Formats: sequence, structure tokens, C-alpha cells
Amino acid sequence: MRYTVSHTTTYSYDEDVTNSFGIAHVTPRELPHQHVAKAEVRINPAPADQSSDVDFYGNTVTYFQVLEPHQLLEITAVSEVDVSTPVYDETSFDQPWERARPLVDPSLPGAWRAADLAVASPLVEHTQEAYDFGAVSLTEGRGVVEAAEDLMHRIHGGFDYDDTATTVTSTIPEIFTAEGGVCQDFAHLMLACLRAHGLAARYVSGYLATTPPPGKPRLVGADASHAWVEVWVPQLSGAGTGQWLALDPTNDTRADDRYLSVAWGRDYADVPPVKGVIYTEATTSTLTVSVDVAPDQQE
Amino acid sequence: MTVLREYADALRLRDAPDQPYDEVVGPDGTLRPAWKPMAETAVSITPATLSRISHDVERFLADDGVTYLRPGAKPESWRLDPVPLVIDPAQWRILEVGLAQRAELLNAVLVDLYGPQRLLQDGIVPAAVIFGHQGFHRVTARASNHDPRPLVLAAADLGRTRDGEWRVLADRTQAPSGIGYAMENRRVISRVLPELHRDAGLHRMEPYFAALRSALLESAPGDQADPRVVVLSPGTHSETAYDQAFLASTLGFPLVQGADLTVRNGEVLMRGHGDRLERVDVILRRVDATWSDPLELRGDSQLGVAGLIEAVRRGNVRVVNGFGAGVLENPGLVPYLPAACEALLGEPLRLGSIGTWWCGDPAQRAEVERRLATDDLVVRTLEGTIVAGTPEELRARIATDPYRYVGQEQITLSRAPTWVEGRGAVGRPLTLRTFSLRYGSAYRPLVGGLASIRADGTGLPPCSKDVWVLKESPQDADQGLADVLPMTHTRSVTVLVPRALEDMYWSGRYAERAEDLIRLILATHVLAEDFRTRPRTSGGVSLEVMLSALDRLAGRGDADADIDAEFRSMLLDADRPGSAAQSLAGMRQALTDVRDQLSPDMWRIFSSTDRAAEELRSNPHSLQIAESGAEMLHGILAMQGIVASMIRDEGYHSIRLGRFLERAMQICLLLRATTTVRRGLEVDRAVLNAVLVSAESAVTHRRRYRGYVRTGGVLDLLIMDRDNPRSLAFCLDELRLHLTKLPGSTGSSRPERLLDDITDMLDRTEVAGLVAIGGVGRPNLESFLDQVHAQLVRLADAMSDVHFATGPAPQLLNVLSAVRG
Repeated sequence: MRYTVSHTTTYSYDEDVTNSFGIAHVTPRELPHQHVAKAEVRINPAPADQSSDVDFYGNTVTYFQVLEPHQLLEITAVSEVDVSTPVYDETSFDQPWERARPLVDPSLPGAWRAADLAVASPLVEHTQEAYDFGAVSLTEGRGVVEAAEDLMHRIHGGFDYDDTATTVTSTIPEIFTAEGGVCQDFAHLMLACLRAHGLAARYVSGYLATTPPPGKPRLVGADASHAWVEVWVPQLSGAGTGQWLALDPTNDTRADDRYLSVAWGRDYADVPPVKGVIYTEATTSTLTVSVDVAPDQQE
Repeated sequence: MTVLREYADALRLRDAPDQPYDEVVGPDGTLRPAWKPMAETAVSITPATLSRISHDVERFLADDGVTYLRPGAKPESWRLDPVPLVIDPAQWRILEVGLAQRAELLNAVLVDLYGPQRLLQDGIVPAAVIFGHQGFHRVTARASNHDPRPLVLAAADLGRTRDGEWRVLADRTQAPSGIGYAMENRRVISRVLPELHRDAGLHRMEPYFAALRSALLESAPGDQADPRVVVLSPGTHSETAYDQAFLASTLGFPLVQGADLTVRNGEVLMRGHGDRLERVDVILRRVDATWSDPLELRGDSQLGVAGLIEAVRRGNVRVVNGFGAGVLENPGLVPYLPAACEALLGEPLRLGSIGTWWCGDPAQRAEVERRLATDDLVVRTLEGTIVAGTPEELRARIATDPYRYVGQEQITLSRAPTWVEGRGAVGRPLTLRTFSLRYGSAYRPLVGGLASIRADGTGLPPCSKDVWVLKESPQDADQGLADVLPMTHTRSVTVLVPRALEDMYWSGRYAERAEDLIRLILATHVLAEDFRTRPRTSGGVSLEVMLSALDRLAGRGDADADIDAEFRSMLLDADRPGSAAQSLAGMRQALTDVRDQLSPDMWRIFSSTDRAAEELRSNPHSLQIAESGAEMLHGILAMQGIVASMIRDEGYHSIRLGRFLERAMQICLLLRATTTVRRGLEVDRAVLNAVLVSAESAVTHRRRYRGYVRTGGVLDLLIMDRDNPRSLAFCLDELRLHLTKLPGSTGSSRPERLLDDITDMLDRTEVAGLVAIGGVGRPNLESFLDQVHAQLVRLADAMSDVHFATGPAPQLLNVLSAVRG
């Protein structure tokens, strides 16, 4: 599928902001199953400084600084992306999950790099609760993918989608207490349950194309940025450094050609779409985000 | 009996097999080789002499204002033992080679971890040791961030085992502190032990600072002819604020805080006045990496500079040490250093660490669990924090996340004689902090260091020791640095950041406030001595008037307290708003913020005011109020002398502005409280006399008016007389003089306009009009003083806005609901 994605983040303030720094992860990644035909990031008012770089995880990251006094800051990313459903070599999927732990077996090909995603990260604490929740799915000798997908089902079934339950900085204990949350929380929860048992998994930030109800037109801006996880599955033979299986606990499904990957990291804090620091006397700011993932009609 | 003999004899009596290594006395009871060159002088020192020397040390340190701040506590005096740690050249040579190699190795490890990561890929260092450590900063681990020399200054804490071998207890690479304290220790010890210092033939430290200075200048990116280096400090609340300020002023680089710097177009600029910004090329960082950039690291940090990490990645500024350097402080790295040394340098590691086992490795974890049963092991997180608990609790803790923990052996540290008043020389455990500097293409250890006597459960406080490394031959170049260029002051600090100017301005205001209050207390105390028992006399009433003037300045204290208790509280109680102690504390704080700009003599002010306060606390007699008050006054007046010999730069003008603005305000307040109400001829006369005394104008008045005290004459002297430094008119002239010199002044700026208004008001006023009587008071005088005071307050606000403003603090962009899928 080819999509045209436009993602606009708008901040408005009650007073002039005279100096604003920002970091944005809004440029989709080039991947075997995903081709980025075009990608641009526009900032309004025009920044005095804008540059892009590749971060530790290979994501494209945009840095900018706006020095023109403004009460409205707009970051718009427009990309054209071809996506297909990822294809996996499933022969390694049935291996016991215990064999997919990079810290326990650092000699596995790729384990040294995967170790980064098996240790605790700022927003994904390995709590006892997460360990216990994970243990129900990660039973002795169970196939790694079966176990991970079972965990995904249980998170989907056991937690409500509720965008009032949590915030972007919610911790694992808070998500357990709220028994609900949004995509980011479910992703963090699943990461905590997997990593507490030594598996490696990463947080993926991106977009999900939504299909309008039958007979209704597609609504522009109804889409949202989305987040899911990818679990590390080491290869059984050869020099491959392992595969990353994409699972979406929010929708209880493997990611397919509706999922556009933008950036991945240890957790949300590594790859927020936009973050920044402003210098102002302003006391209030409001944020609006609009995402539109439009399937290309010509295909 | 002399101190060292007694110490050696005491050791001989204790003939236990598990004795620690002694730094001074060998196993045969004689002095170790290091002490032999100065044995004659050293052995002859008696307890009485050492006690005197120890007091001298305390006094010198107090005079220099050397402090150390434990988190959440008030600044403590730096403690220095008079007996140095002496190391002979043969031993030092071994250590030196080990230290240089270790610094080189750590730099190579750092370059690898933030670059190709061969150590991780090849399994020489387990990846979880690095990825699990909070000091590994992924924002710095990018291909774009190439820094071949991230480690410029490394430090290590060493301890000596029972058999006399030095071992590394911990590496300090994030932002090593202590080199300023080391220098200060030397400065003090060389003064109190001049003969010993001369006999010893030891390496002077100055050339090392010159090398550090040149290493920092050479760190500048590109071909900067005249690079600007700054020392970035977290501020005076930092534990080692003294060390930072000492370093900055010794090196001649400005000491700045995060808010003094700003990033534009990926370059770091230092704020000057208004729009003036100067490019910064090198930052010697004393702020931990995590707090250095609210944009990419801790967003709640007010200590950092937004955009700093990007500026570093673009190669526009060098930060020393590099942001990633904290990962080297990781004790989990220790077991792998020997292999890393073989892999990266192709040599065996020379200077080893104490036994350390990483629990992420099953065999090492088993070793830790086995040793948990014995006492010589501590469990730490990768960040170095000690984990407390019973062996069972620790085992359980490790089991949850083994890779997060290490076990580390505790060695019996060597023992060094340390002076304890009343007990003589006591053997106490010692550690040594060393420093290694990348100078040219190699690492040069400081020939010397900072030794610490650790707390050892005896209740004796920790302290430091000077470290003497003896020369092999008197011809040896100091620090082995014959070729280092001497410190030149080709580039003095020209730009003062607005924050520094503000601090200087406030130091002037506080000094004046303290001075005026003390003068008023002294004048009132004289009245109190005569009239406190005669409340109904005119003298008694005038005492009441003066006391109410004091109340206006320093608040109404305990109404039932007797007068002396009030005087004492106004002088000593730092929590009382307006007290002399509070003004002195404010002045000290402001000066501490700009310590790098000041003459070291400035700190003697506080050692003399502290001593005066101490005497007052311990002496209950009323007369002591006058004596201590006069001594405190003396201390504050010394500031005038020090300021008088300052370079006439913006800092000087700011101090003077603060002083005369405060004085003008104080004149208004004093006259308002004493002269606007008529209380009968005799009372008025007594009050006016006291006012003249407290305004230091009694002598002039007597000469001019032959003792005939009238309100008109006093007002003329204290308001109109342009030649009297204590008059309002004089203050306004001074304010104009100094205000014009600030770069933000244009001739028509708001502060200048406000000052014009006050001057006009004064010019339009005549004493005859002011003294005019209405009812029981002088309404014209009252409204004149109120107006002038209000206008002075406005002037102070305007000066803050125009000359001292640093702009709003950074805020985090509201990220709420940025991802809501």
C-alpha cells in the first residue's frame, strides 16, 4: 500500500515565545517492507536552525530552533510511504522463549545489540507485577512467538482502552493500577512483561491507517500516531542477528501493511514525535495533533 | 616526647598480624624512606607545635573561605590535617606509569563505546554492563558525534592494601573534582610547615595548572587563534563550589552557570549585556551530563543549556570531559578492564582495581554470593550506589536483575598519622585521589594529589591531607613539565555575565545594609548603656525612638526580650529578616557566586565577622555587643579597601551601584524613623545626635555647627551636602557615575531617567521647606523622604530589568498526549 501521511503538531501559547528548541522523530524509516518515497519536515515560523541526523537506533531525528517570537508553533511532517506486510522466517518462532534471552546467552548472534532492549529503561521498569503478569504467558518451554502473542491477547483483554487513565509519563505501576490506558501504555506494559523475563523487545512509534466504516467517507485527521512493540527472535542457524516480530497489543494483532514505522527505541522517551524546550513568560500552552494517513488512490 | 616518636611507639606495642600498611612508619619501627630526607625536622615536632600548626591551618582555610558542602547541609569548613602524605620517587614512578596507562585505556574504552563498539561486539565487555548503566548516553552515541579525545581529565581514588600496593577503588571521569582543593592544601601547608616543605624537595603544582590551561585551550575545535574557555558550574549549592571557583580563577577562565550560556545556530554563546553574545569554544564541565541539556537529557534540569548536545555533535564546541564519560565510573566495567587493555592497547593492565565481580555473569555472581557470607564485600548498583541489606536480602535483590549489580571487596586501607587535638597523632584510614591530564598526545598524572582520611567509625570527622611527592633529584623539573609554557594572562576575563554583575551589585547592597544596621545598633547601644534604667527621661525617650528605628530595619523582635537580647538577635540571628547576620549571609552568598572574580582577601572579611560573632555568642556581657559590633563593622569596612583596588570594570561599578543605592535608601529610612516627628527639644537633640553618630557624620557636624544640633543642620548634612559621603546628594552623584559606566546605559535608559527624576526632586528641595512644622511633625520632610525612597525602589527594579536580566527560565514543551493511539 502507498500512503500519504501528514502529521501536524501545533503548540499555542498565551504569550510570545522568544526562543524554542525542538527535537522531532517524524520521518518514517526505510525498511525491507517499507519504502519512503518522500519525506519532509516543515516548521512554522521558519526556524533559524534546522538539521537532521541519524540517532543511536538509526531513526531520523530533526533538530530545530525558532528564534522569531511566536505564539503558535507548527511542526508538519509529510511523507509518502509504500508499506507491505512484513514477511518473517518462521522456522525460529517455535523455539522455547528461554533460548531468546540475550543476557542469559550473550553468544547468540546479535545478542550484544539486543541486550540494550532487554535491560530496564526509564519508562519501563521491571516490576514484580510485570514479571508475574508475564509469567502466565511465558510458561516453561513454550514457543517464543506463541508466548509473546498470548501475552498480547491478555493485555488486550485485561486492560481497557481509556485515554483519560494515563499520561505520557505514566509508569508501569500506574498502568497496572489504572487497568487501562492508550497504545503507548500497552506497548510499555508488554515491554515490561517481556523484558522482566529476559526477552529483548523494542518500542515502535508510527502510524496506523484506519479504515472508515462501510459507506462512510474517510475523515481527514481522524487517524493518530500509534505505538506497538517488536520482540527479538534469534535465528536458529546462520549469521543472522535475529528477527524483530511486530505485535500490537492495542489491536491484538501482528503489524501488517497498515502499520507505518517511524522510529524505535527503548521506550517512548527515546522517540517522542516532538519534544522541546521553550523560553517564555507564557504560563499556558495547548497542544493539538492531527494525523492523516491517506491510502493513495492511484494504486 | 615528640609526636612521630610517640606514634611509632604506639604502633610497636600493637603487634597484631593483620595491621594495615602504615604510611609513615615501616614494619621495623623506623620512618619509611619517603620521610628520611626530612626526618630530623619531622621527628622534632612536639605536640604543642603541631597543635599550634593545626590551628594555623584552620585559620588560613577560614581566611581563604574554603568550604565543602554536603547535600542538604550548610557549607562546612574544609578540613586539612597538618601532616602530609609523603610518597618517595621510586614508589611514585610505579604509580605514575599505572595512572597514565589507565587514563589512556579509559579514553580508548570511551571512544570505542561511543563509536564502533568492538568491545561489545567481541564480547570483551558484556553489552549489558554498558547498556544497563545510566551514564551511557545514547544521544551522544551517534555516528555524527566523533570525539577522539573525550577524556581530558581523569581522576581515580586509590587505596593501599596491607602489602603496600596501590589499588583503584573508583574511577572519577564524569566531572572530576578536587584539584582546586589539592592546590589550596598545598598553599596552606607550605605556609605552616615552611622548613619541612623546604627540606622535602617536592614537586610544585603550579606547572600542572599551566598544562591544564593549555590542554583546555588546545581542546578548542578548529583553528581558533584565541579560543574562549569557560568553566560550567552547577552553582554555589554544589558540593565542590569552592573547587570550581578556585580552578576557574587559577586558570583565568570565567566561571559560568547554565543560564549564562545559550545556543544559537548550533553554537554556544555566552550572554553579555543586552544583545552582546560571545562564542564559547571549550566548556570545562562540572555539571553531570544528565543535567547538562534539558532538551535531550533531563528536561527538568535548570543547570544545563538547551541545545548543548547538538552543538557538541556538530563539533562547534568541545565539552571536557565528553558527555559520555560517566559510563567509565561504572564498577561493572572493572572486571573487564584487563581484557580491554589487552584488546585496545595490546599491553597488560598495570594498575589494578580492588576485587570486583559483576553479577550478570553466572560465575562471578556465584563468587559474590559466596563472599556475601563474609564481611569484606559490598554490593553496588552499576551506578555505584551501595545496596544495604542482609546477605539474604542482597541475594534476593541480585536475583531480580543480576546484571544491575556488582560485588566489591573492601580492603583494609593504609593508615596515616592524623593530628587529633588532645590525643596526638592517630593512625586513620587513607585514600588518595589522583588526576591525569591529556597533555599533548599522552596522559600526565599530577605529581601529587588529594588524600582523604575517611570516617572510620571512631566519630572523628573525615579530613584531607596534602600529598608530597618527592623529587628524585633537586634538578628535576616540577611536575616533569620543563617545557610547559608559563601561565600567561594574555586573555583576561573581559565579559562578565549579567548574573555575575547582579551578584556583585547585591554584594554591595548587602554590605551597606549590614554596615548601616551595625552602626545604628552601636549608636543605640550607647544610649541604652546610659538610659535603659531611666525610661521617663529625655534620654530614655530618645532610646525608644532609636529602638523603633531599628525595628523598622530589622523587624520587631520579641517584645518582652530585654534590649541586649534584641541587639544580639539583630547582630547574630541569620533567620531574622534585616539582621546583620542575614545581610552578611546574603553578601557571602553573592560573593561566592562570583568567587572567581574576586581577590582571595575578600574571604578574610567573613573569617573576621565570624570570629566577632563567635565571641559575642560566648560572652554574655553587654559591653561585648559594642566590641563585637565594632569588629564586625571593621570586617565589612575591609571590603571597601578591597573593592577600591579592583579593576574598574563592570563588576566594580556594579558593587558600587549596589552600595550607594542601598545607602541612599537607608538614609531615607533612618531620617523617616527619627526626624519627622517632634518630641520636644531635648529628646530631639539626643535623637539627632544618635542619628549623626550612626550616619558617621557626628564629627563633621560638630566642626561645622559647633555642637549646636538642629534638625535643619542635620538634614543639610545628610541630604543636601554633596561633599558628605553619607548624604543623599552624594549617593545620587555616585549612582550616576557608576550607572553611566554600565554597557546597557545610553544616557536615556529607564534607570538613568529615574535617577534624573530623583536628582530633580532633590534640586527643587530646600532644607527650609523640609523642616517646616505642621502639627507634631514635619509633613514636607515626611512626604519628601517617602517619595525619594519609592523612587529608589523603582530605580532598583529598573536596574534589575535592564542590566541584570538573564531572561526567563526554560520550560518543557507540553508533550501531553503527543501519542494517543
